[in-house]
Amino acid sequence: MSDAEQPTDDHVPGDDEFEPIQVFPQAEDMDLRPGADNCYKCSTCDTNCPVAEVDDEFPGPKFQGPEQWRLKRQDDHDIDDSVMKCSNCMRCDSACPSEVPLSQMHNTARGEYVDEQMSTISREYLRNRMLANYRKLAPLAATFPRTANFVMGLSATKWMGEKLLGITSEREFPDFATETFREWWTKRGGAQVESEEKRIAYFHGCYSNYNTPEVAKALVRVYEHFGYEIMVPEQSCSGTPMFANGMLDDARRAAETNVRELGAAIADGADIVASCSSCSMSLRQEYPELFDFAGTETVAENTWDAVEFLRVHEDLEGALEGTSVEDSNFAYHAPCHSRNQGLDGQTIEIMDRIDGVEAEDVGDSCSGISGTYGWKAEKYETSMKIGEEMFDHMEDADAETGLTECPTCSMQMEHGTGYEITHTLEVLEDALVGARSE
Amino acid sequence: MAIEDDVLVIGGGIAGATAALAAAERDARVRLVTYKQSTLRHASGLIDILGYTPAGDGPLIDPFDALEDLPEGHPYERVGAETVRDALSFFDDVAGDAYAGEHTDANALVPTHGGTVKPTARYPASTAAGLASDPRDALLVGFETLPDFEAPLAAAHLEAAGAPFETRGVTLSFPGIVRDDAKVTRYAHLLDQDETVETAAGTTTAREALAERVRSQLDDEPRVGFPAVLGDERADEVRADLADAIGVDVFEVPMGPPSLPGMRLEDLLYDALEAAGVAVTSGVPVIDYETNGDADRIDRVVVDRHGAEIPHRADQYVLATGGLVGKGVRSERDRVFEPIFDCHVSHAEDRYDWFVDDVFGDQPYARFGLAPDRELRPLDATDDPEFANLRAAGAVLGGYDFAAEKSGAGVSLATGYAAGRRAGEECGD
Amino acid sequence: MAHDTEVLVLGGGSTGCGIARDLAMRGLEVTLVERGNLTDGTTGRMHGLLHSGGRYAVSDQASATECIEENEVLREIAGHCVEMTGGLFVQRPEDPDDYFREKLEGCRECNIPARVLSGREAREVEPYLAKDVKRAIEVPDGAVDPFRLCVANAIDAENHGARIETHAEVVDLLRDGDDIYGVKVRHDSGPGKRTHGASGTTEEITADYVVNATGAWAGQIGAMANLDVEVRPSKGVMTIMNVRQVDTVINRCRPKGDADIVVPHETTAILGTTDEEVDDPDDYPEEEWEVDHMIDTLSELVPILQEARTIRSFWGVRPLYEPPGTGTDDPTDITRDFFLLDHDERDGVAGMSSIVGGKFTTYRMMAEQISDHVCDKLGVTASCATAEEPLPGSENISVLEDGMDDFGLRSPIARRSKQRLGSRAADVLDTDAANPVICQCEGVTRAEIQDAISQSGSDLNAVRIRTRASMGNCQGGFCCQNMANELHPEYDEPTVRAALDELFQERWKGERHALWGEQLSQAMLNYALHATTMNRDNDPASAADPIGYEAFDGGRTRTEPRTDGGQ
Repeated sequence: MSDAEQPTDDHVPGDDEFEPIQVFPQAEDMDLRPGADNCYKCSTCDTNCPVAEVDDEFPGPKFQGPEQWRLKRQDDHDIDDSVMKCSNCMRCDSACPSEVPLSQMHNTARGEYVDEQMSTISREYLRNRMLANYRKLAPLAATFPRTANFVMGLSATKWMGEKLLGITSEREFPDFATETFREWWTKRGGAQVESEEKRIAYFHGCYSNYNTPEVAKALVRVYEHFGYEIMVPEQSCSGTPMFANGMLDDARRAAETNVRELGAAIADGADIVASCSSCSMSLRQEYPELFDFAGTETVAENTWDAVEFLRVHEDLEGALEGTSVEDSNFAYHAPCHSRNQGLDGQTIEIMDRIDGVEAEDVGDSCSGISGTYGWKAEKYETSMKIGEEMFDHMEDADAETGLTECPTCSMQMEHGTGYEITHTLEVLEDALVGARSE
Repeated sequence: MAIEDDVLVIGGGIAGATAALAAAERDARVRLVTYKQSTLRHASGLIDILGYTPAGDGPLIDPFDALEDLPEGHPYERVGAETVRDALSFFDDVAGDAYAGEHTDANALVPTHGGTVKPTARYPASTAAGLASDPRDALLVGFETLPDFEAPLAAAHLEAAGAPFETRGVTLSFPGIVRDDAKVTRYAHLLDQDETVETAAGTTTAREALAERVRSQLDDEPRVGFPAVLGDERADEVRADLADAIGVDVFEVPMGPPSLPGMRLEDLLYDALEAAGVAVTSGVPVIDYETNGDADRIDRVVVDRHGAEIPHRADQYVLATGGLVGKGVRSERDRVFEPIFDCHVSHAEDRYDWFVDDVFGDQPYARFGLAPDRELRPLDATDDPEFANLRAAGAVLGGYDFAAEKSGAGVSLATGYAAGRRAGEECGD
Repeated sequence: MAHDTEVLVLGGGSTGCGIARDLAMRGLEVTLVERGNLTDGTTGRMHGLLHSGGRYAVSDQASATECIEENEVLREIAGHCVEMTGGLFVQRPEDPDDYFREKLEGCRECNIPARVLSGREAREVEPYLAKDVKRAIEVPDGAVDPFRLCVANAIDAENHGARIETHAEVVDLLRDGDDIYGVKVRHDSGPGKRTHGASGTTEEITADYVVNATGAWAGQIGAMANLDVEVRPSKGVMTIMNVRQVDTVINRCRPKGDADIVVPHETTAILGTTDEEVDDPDDYPEEEWEVDHMIDTLSELVPILQEARTIRSFWGVRPLYEPPGTGTDDPTDITRDFFLLDHDERDGVAGMSSIVGGKFTTYRMMAEQISDHVCDKLGVTASCATAEEPLPGSENISVLEDGMDDFGLRSPIARRSKQRLGSRAADVLDTDAANPVICQCEGVTRAEIQDAISQSGSDLNAVRIRTRASMGNCQGGFCCQNMANELHPEYDEPTVRAALDELFQERWKGERHALWGEQLSQAMLNYALHATTMNRDNDPASAADPIGYEAFDGGRTRTEPRTDGGQ
């Protein structure tokens, strides 16, 4: 080493394609220290963190993000283990007055922690991996939905889940639908409207495929009502649960599939719409922040929340004037991932247009479940403490039905209050197309 | 299609919220678009009107007396003293019992967490029992895990500041807080939910445990001050419970960022916006605007939603995006600018003329912002309005040093109120 | 007449503290006086480069050889002050090939380990290097914290019986005919550890021998005895970035020039520098163009610097010296070597030598040679041990990281604390008391602040240089107040207030030079926090006239107070 060596590659400037910053070999190779430049320590992020509010073991997003990154040197690989307490609600992102890439820092740190510091044979790792890859298990359950629902509901199964895997026994596993959305879609023969000008590709995500196909069907009927041709491209999990568990390799594989398939749909003239707020969040924000394969930006720029898209491209509010629905008193919870997309006020504004509908916003607190977070035995209590404010407001609300756009928020709302929960698209379907025929 | 409203307010701090409320009062259909959370969370929650004149005289007993003498271009001079009063009563109506001080024109002197006192016109109910211009003795309680507030030092400082009463400070541990780096929201939540906590004496509730610790320290003082962490959603209840359990008046000393009194004020304003039917779109920036033939009029603004550009159209616009901290005014090495409409910001060419060497001297940078006409329309370099239907309010305006004058909230209220009212009136025309 | 001390060292920079330690370890009685704080002069105003010698490998091979020798010594004796970052001499396409070759050969000739990297390899090491860099020479440059190193020397000198007196300005040399036998100092505010509030007193300190180690100020000391010390102070700017864009020292590989080095320093990166002769080391212009020049020129090597956040800039004055008659015009051509001026031999004035020139990396070697000289003068035979004995904090440094738990701290805070405290970490951090973080930017806890206060008293700038508290991105906006709080109740309220004002003003002094973009927003927030929220700009405790409280709103509670108070 001490002797001078001749250069191994006499570099000629200009012909170098190597761009280390842009390449994405592993998320943990990303140097996010420059992101700390934007922080001026105001701690607004901390005041928005639902976890730090109920658990002082979690030191808050400012510490996890800009502070931890700024204290880092290239060779330091000790991420504080408290990063696993972050629920990835991403509220800190829209809180920060100074555009610190907080959730990107958290996601990257979490990925690094899981890769470098978490044993791959630990119970926590196995459990997280399983929760993160819910999609892998779902098809099996969906093949035998009744058996799966029965088995999942058994107290012995829950006991096993808690003891062996650290999945809380307090929650009811979601029921699997007897017919998935994709099965229904194939059976009905796919799109029933064809249009060159008005075309969308639907990113249904896992949950509305396997568990709540009625939400997906509502989207189809509402969009067909407005004359859209609907494509249902091949798709994988959006990655949300994988980011939240630091499983960045899994997320990357899923994202590659999605970007490829959705990119092709965009090339066919479609915009992408999603009915789940976490799915749209993931495609819009997390993909471009964490991945860099071709087309990521294009997919992000052309992805919409399903209601937002209609609001901007159609006269949705005009169409809703004079309509009415069966259930009319809603307690609405805006999911954190809607909030991050600037959509938290949208549902109430839309509902106001439907005759007789009273939709009450139950406040800006987090539901607390944050995807897989609230399913973990050791996080369950935190999850319920976070949710307390929302539960209280829901109980105070003068409403019959809960309303939200996020499947896991919906589980938490039901779990904490006993309300029946519906999705905004289902209400729109009722208003615009009428109560479902089947 | 664009999302359409009569009045579009950009910015969600005191100025923006007040503008939206004032416009809604004129029956306009109003939307408030706010990108990030406002600087209210940095601020103490006090409503200062004017504590010192621009020349540094003060503390002023009556802020309204001094309004007439402000230099030309000062935001208060632009809107006029009467509007300042109107705006403050408008705020009093919105705030109701949550704020005090409306019984007099005189400023109150409020103890700060640095141990000094500052003049202010309106103060949160939680601060009301703690005024330094109230001659009752006080016990200040700090917590060993909240290093921002050193109660014994603050007490000594208040004495040095000539406060007309005896002050004593003690430092305690906060029952139920486990880690030394718990966030202030954790303290507040613990008290809000009155969580169960373990103390040496056994299991009890957070409020009772805290009261018990303080009770043992009390020495006939009729009031006890805490750093401002006494609850968030249920702050009034927390304070009342503590007062009952300790047996004396309880008050909060306003703190620096992140500030619970600031958060509570934000909640109050957003509740009012909801009640007034103002549509609020948050978390997304306005990145651009378009004129429609007539270059003097903004036709629509463009909101960026993760790459998707959503047009928002209104008849009237209010710009309330904040100053250097709120990023409504930005700077580079050789320029200071307003990023959305590129409204003119007057500043010295050489950035070494943006500051003076004494940190608390007459800092030019503190006055950066837009210069408006008397209708609060930002003026271009030749003193013509940039746009016929754009008004500006709050810290995005220049020509005053809110930090030195203690006029931040007051200017935001007065200009927000004036801009919103005017926008609401004009859109009907 | 017996003197107060055997040796009196003037100047509390690296040279002075190094001499004090060396002589004290040899068993001599030593007193050191410093006008301000330790490191207040040039030591505290350098870029923190631990030279490999590579920089001098072409122009000054004697210095280069000394550098690599001392580089290796400091890694051993001051491990907790040194970070072996490695360094690169990076060649851009427009930089001369000849010079690159000369640099490489020079390194070999001076036994500096050197290896050539291709542009691609260099960018693998430092991804933020410009895409078109041509190639680089890798050398064992490092980063050193001059504050901690200097303070560690002073502490060890004290441990060996020395008296270290800060805030004691030399106002006169005591002279009896042609013999200097001491100095008169003015204490800034009382003797001993600094305690504010006492009015300035003077003290005469007599000594068998005086060493003038005041660097750029050596000429001023000399003038007190009509001695001509031809020091030629030369100023240089250093601009501090908020984060480390690079983790390796990046040098521009071209013949001498300004703005050619980026040093990763603790949590920051420091850009340097300029070289301009000044008349007075205490009064010279700090100019905008110098800062702009750093950013614009170094962006050619590391483009992200153009957009990155700068948190402050500072200037230092090099204590350059050249023997009379050399006649160099350009300060960059003046040698970096050091000179020992024995005023007895040179001027016929006994009892004092002056030490001028030199550079930080070789401070220990300089101190050794001067100490040898002093011993010689005093007829003492004792040998130097400073190259072998580790400084306090660096004993058994290699086993530290693994052997210590985290003291209940979050891992990055524990890591940074341990990096700063070295082997003292357990002593300082192991506490049962609440230990919240006081400075969040730099991850400094109460225990570390208290430890610094116990060393340095109520001078918060002295606390700052020991801990780095208030040296992060908010530049003390959020923590100055909290640092001051830590002084109470040991120090009374007026002392605390004065200490806070002094620290806050000092932070502003450097931050002024970074007032655009994020740092201007930060400055406005800091100003608002201190002026609006705390009203520190109009603190009635510091005002001339008392406030008439009774004229202000006393609140409604004044008329209907609670009556069961305290029951």
